[in-house]
Amino acid sequence: MSVSLPRASTLIGACLVAAIAAAVTPAQARTLDTAHGEIEVPDAPERVVTLYEGALDAALAAGVMPVGAVTTRGGDDVARYIAPHLGDQRPAIVGVVREINMEAVVGERPDLILAGPSLADAQYALLSKIAPTVVPQSPGITPEAWKVEGRQFGEALGREDAVNAAIEGVESRAAELAERVDAAEVGATANLVRWMPQGPLVMSDRLFASGLLEAVGLDVASGDLVNGHGVHSDPLSLENLSRLQGDWLFLATLNEEGDEALAAAKDSPAFARLPVVDNGRVVPVDGQLWTSANGPLAAEAILDDIEAALVP
Amino acid sequence: MSKAASVNIEPRPSAGLSRVMPMLSGLLALAVLASLLWGAGEVGPARALAVLAGHGDSEARFVVETLRLPRTLIGIAVGLSLGVAGALLQAVSRNPLAEPGLLGVSAGAAFAVAVALWLGASAATLRVAVAQVGALGGCLAVMSVARLRGPGDDPVRLVLAGAAFSALLASLTSLLLLFDQRTADEIRFWVVGSLAGRRLDDLAAVLPSLGLALVVTALIARPLAALALGERVASGLGHRPGRVRALVVIAVALLVGAATAIAGPIAFVGLVVPFAARALAGPDIRRTLWLCLPLGPLMVLAADVVSRRVVAPSELPLGVLTALVGAPVLVAVVRARRLPTL
Amino acid sequence: MSETLMSEPLPMPARADAPRRVAPPPGYWRLAWGERHLLIERRALIVSLLLLGLLTASSLAYLCLGQQVLSPAGAWAALKGEGDPLAGFLVRELRFPRLLAAWLTGAAFALAGCLMQTLARNRLATPGIIGIDNGATAFAVASVVGLGVSLAPPAMALVGAATAAAVTFGVASGGDTRGYRFIVAGIGVGAVFGAVTQLLLARVDIDTANQAYPWTVGTLNARPGGAVAVLGIGLALGWPLAMALARPLSLMRFSDAVARGLGVGLRRRRAQILGLSVLLTALAVAVAGPVGMVGLIGPEIARSLSTSRGVPLTASALAGALVMVLADLTGRLLLAPIELPVGIVTAVVGGPWLLWILMRPTHRRVS
Repeated sequence: MSVSLPRASTLIGACLVAAIAAAVTPAQARTLDTAHGEIEVPDAPERVVTLYEGALDAALAAGVMPVGAVTTRGGDDVARYIAPHLGDQRPAIVGVVREINMEAVVGERPDLILAGPSLADAQYALLSKIAPTVVPQSPGITPEAWKVEGRQFGEALGREDAVNAAIEGVESRAAELAERVDAAEVGATANLVRWMPQGPLVMSDRLFASGLLEAVGLDVASGDLVNGHGVHSDPLSLENLSRLQGDWLFLATLNEEGDEALAAAKDSPAFARLPVVDNGRVVPVDGQLWTSANGPLAAEAILDDIEAALVP
Repeated sequence: MSKAASVNIEPRPSAGLSRVMPMLSGLLALAVLASLLWGAGEVGPARALAVLAGHGDSEARFVVETLRLPRTLIGIAVGLSLGVAGALLQAVSRNPLAEPGLLGVSAGAAFAVAVALWLGASAATLRVAVAQVGALGGCLAVMSVARLRGPGDDPVRLVLAGAAFSALLASLTSLLLLFDQRTADEIRFWVVGSLAGRRLDDLAAVLPSLGLALVVTALIARPLAALALGERVASGLGHRPGRVRALVVIAVALLVGAATAIAGPIAFVGLVVPFAARALAGPDIRRTLWLCLPLGPLMVLAADVVSRRVVAPSELPLGVLTALVGAPVLVAVVRARRLPTL
Repeated sequence: MSETLMSEPLPMPARADAPRRVAPPPGYWRLAWGERHLLIERRALIVSLLLLGLLTASSLAYLCLGQQVLSPAGAWAALKGEGDPLAGFLVRELRFPRLLAAWLTGAAFALAGCLMQTLARNRLATPGIIGIDNGATAFAVASVVGLGVSLAPPAMALVGAATAAAVTFGVASGGDTRGYRFIVAGIGVGAVFGAVTQLLLARVDIDTANQAYPWTVGTLNARPGGAVAVLGIGLALGWPLAMALARPLSLMRFSDAVARGLGVGLRRRRAQILGLSVLLTALAVAVAGPVGMVGLIGPEIARSLSTSRGVPLTASALAGALVMVLADLTGRLLLAPIELPVGIVTAVVGGPWLLWILMRPTHRRVS
C-alpha cells in the first residue's frame, strides 16, 4: 500500500519528523550536503542515533551522547575502546550492524540519525522518514576518510569546532609522537597484518590505522602486497611472508586474547623466521579497533597502542 | 554354489589395472614434483630444483622443505582420503553421485568446527576430533537415508537429501555467525578449503585415524564387491550386508573428517576421482579403490599448484578450484544417457 | 471367446436422456449457472479458507506487535492514516510494507516449491535446495562487495538467479524424465556459485561482509519497494498461470506413460513448470534474499491438510505466506531489540522438519 502511495507516506513521515522536532527543540534547520543530496538538519540536535561506529566515535568526541547506537561487531554492546568514554550514560542498542531494528530507532524518537557511508538505499529511504539521516560523502578507503566523515558528522551535530579540535588533537599528538619515534631510532617501517589459520592477511596501506602509522613516521609498505585499490586486505601466501620487511609488525586479532594469536602465528615456521619476530617487534593489537573502527577517539586509542609499543 | 559365485567375483586378471597403474603413478610423481617446484613466491622451479639436487640457497631450501613439502604431503593425504571416501560411499549407496561434499558429510564437519569456534576455540588451534565427530554425524544422517536405497531407486533422491541437509547445516551456521562475529570472521576463511598454512603436526594428528580407515577399507573391499551383486548374493557368500555398511560409514567418516580437519571442506574430489577411476578400470569396486589411491592425490595436487599460481602473490582457495573442476563432471554424470546405478 | 464377447451388444450408457442435474462426485460441490457448471473440491476450498483466516489473524498480530504494541483498533486506524502519527509511521511505513513483502515472498517461494516438487515427485526438490538461490546470492554479494557492474543488489540477485537457472537449463538440456538432470545440474551449478560467494566473502573486510550478510541469509528488514512491486506483478501473473498448469501437473504425478496417455505434452509442460518455478523464486529472492525452507514447509503444510486429489497450489501459496509472516514476527520479537533475520527463523524451524522428512523410513512420494 505504502509502496503505491509514496507521496502519502512521505507526508506522514514529514508530519512525524515535524511532530518530534516540535516536541524537542524549536525547529531551526540548517542545510547539509550529504551523500544523498542536501538535507535539512536541526540546529542543535538532542536525540541522536548513530548507526555506524565512526559516527558514534565522532559524536562522543564532539561531546554528544547518542540516545541510540548499534552494537559493535562481536558483542551485544558498543566497542571496547568506546566504553570509557560513555560515563554512566549509555546509548540504547537499536540493533546490530547487520540488522538495524527500525522500530527501535523510531522508539528513540531521534531528531538526527548518523549512518555510515555503506548504508543501503532502501534503509536510507526508511530512516530519512524517521529523522534527517546523514550519510557522509566518503572519499572511499583512504587514510584521510575518517577526518572527512568525522567533520561531516560534526557539522551535522552543529559541533564542527569540537570535532575539528579532536582531529587536530590527534594530528598534533601524532606529530609529537613522530618526533619521539624518530629520536628513539626504533625503525622507520611497519606492516599491519591479521593472522588467519592459513596465513597472514595483509591490511592495505590506505586504511585508517595504516594512516596513523604513517602519521607517526612509520612507512607502511603494503602497496605491492595488496592487489588493487579500494581493497581492504588481501591474503598473502606463506611463501611470500618474507616480503614483510617492516621494522615493526602489528598483528591484529579480533578476540581479546592477542597473545594466543601471536602464539599461533609463531607456530608457523615461515612466521617464526621473520627478522621482526627475532627482534621482538611484533605487537599484538585489538583488531576491532585497528582494522574496522574509525574516528578521533579510535585514533587516540591507536596512538596509545603505538606509543606503548614504540616509545614506552 | 557359493564356491562358483566366489570364483565369479574373484578379481579378473586385471590387464587394465596393471597397465593404468604405472601410468597414473608416473603422473602422480610429476604432480608431486610440480607441487615442490612451483609456488606463489619468488622461489621458482630452477632454485627449487637446486634444492632437490642437494644444493641451493637457504631461502629456497626453507620454502621447499618447510613450506612446500608439508603442503604436498598433506595434499596427498587429503586427496587420498576424499577419493577413497567417495568411492566407498558410491559403492555402498549404489549411487554415482554420492559425494561426501554433496551428501552433507563435509557440511557436518564444517558445522562442528563452527560450533567449536563459537564455544571459544581458536581456528588456529582446532582439533581434528571435532571435525571427525561432525563428519560422522553427517555421515550417519546421510546413510540413514541411504540405508533403504534399493537398486531400482533413482540416485537423485539421495543427492537431494544431501543438498537439503547441507542447506540445513549452512543455515544453522549462519545463526551462529549472527551472534558471534569473531566466529564469523574466522569461519568465513575456514569454509573455503585450502592447503595453505597447514602444518605437519596436523597431518600427524590424523595419520592414525587415516591408517585405521584404510585398513578397514582393505578389509571390506571384497564384501563390498559382493554386495554389488545384490544383497542375497552377498549373504549367500557369507558376508553380512549390515555390518559392511556400518564399517563403510565409519571409514568414510574417519576419512572425510580427517581431510576436512586439515584442509577444510573441499568439494567434488570424491565425485571426480571415482568417476575417473571407473572410466579407466570399470565398475569393480576393488579396482576403483586401487585407482583412487593415485588419482585422488593427483587431482588435489594439480588443483593446488594451479591455485598457487593464478593470483600470485596471493593464493586462490583450493575448494573454489575443485568446485570449478567438479561441477562439469557432475553434469557429465547426469548427462549420461541414463543415470547409471552401481 | 473374444468373438462371443464382441458379438454381445454393449449396454448403452443412459447419456442423452439423463436428467440435466447430475449429483457431483463425492467431496465436490457443484456450482452451476445456466448451462455451465464448476466442480469445486470441498476440502480444498475449506483448507484455503482456513489458511486465509489464519493468515489474516497472524497479519493483524504482525501489525500490532513490535517494539511498540498497538491495539487492533489502533493498528487499523493507523493503517487508514488516522490517529497518532508515530503509530501511523510504525504501521504504514515499517510494518505494513514488510508484511506485504512477507506475504508475497512467502507465497512465491511456496508456489515455486510446490510446482517443482510435484514435477520431480520429490518433496525435497525445491528451487532453494537445488541451488537457484546460490546464484542470486553470489551476484548480490558481488554487487555489495563492489565487483563488476554497478547494478543494485536486488537487480543483481534477479540476474544471478536467472543466470543460475539459464546455465542449469543449458547443461541439463535434452529430454529426461522428471527434470532430474535439471535438479542435479542445479546442485552442481549451485555448488560453484556457493564457492564463489565464499571466495568473495573471504576476500573483503568484515564490515563489507556484514553488508552482504542479508543476501546470504534472507531478511525482510527494509527491503526495496521496487523489487516488492515487481514481485507483486510477477505473482499476479504467475498464480493464474500456475492454476492453469494445475491439471497437467496433477496428471504428471503419475508415471510418464500414464501422463502421456492422458494427453499431456510432457516436454513442453515440464519446461513451462520449471520456468515458472524458477521465475517466481528469482523474483522473491530479489526481495528477501535466499530465505530457506519456505518452499519446503509451505507445500508440506498444504499437502498434509489437503486430499491427494489435486495439487494444492493455492493452499501452498497461502501456507507459505503464513509461514513467512509468523517467522518474521518471531524474528522481530524474540530477541528485541536485536532482530533475527527471517531466513534464520525459517531455517531453524524448518531444519528439524527437514531432518524428520529425511529420517523417515520411506520417502512418501509427492502424490
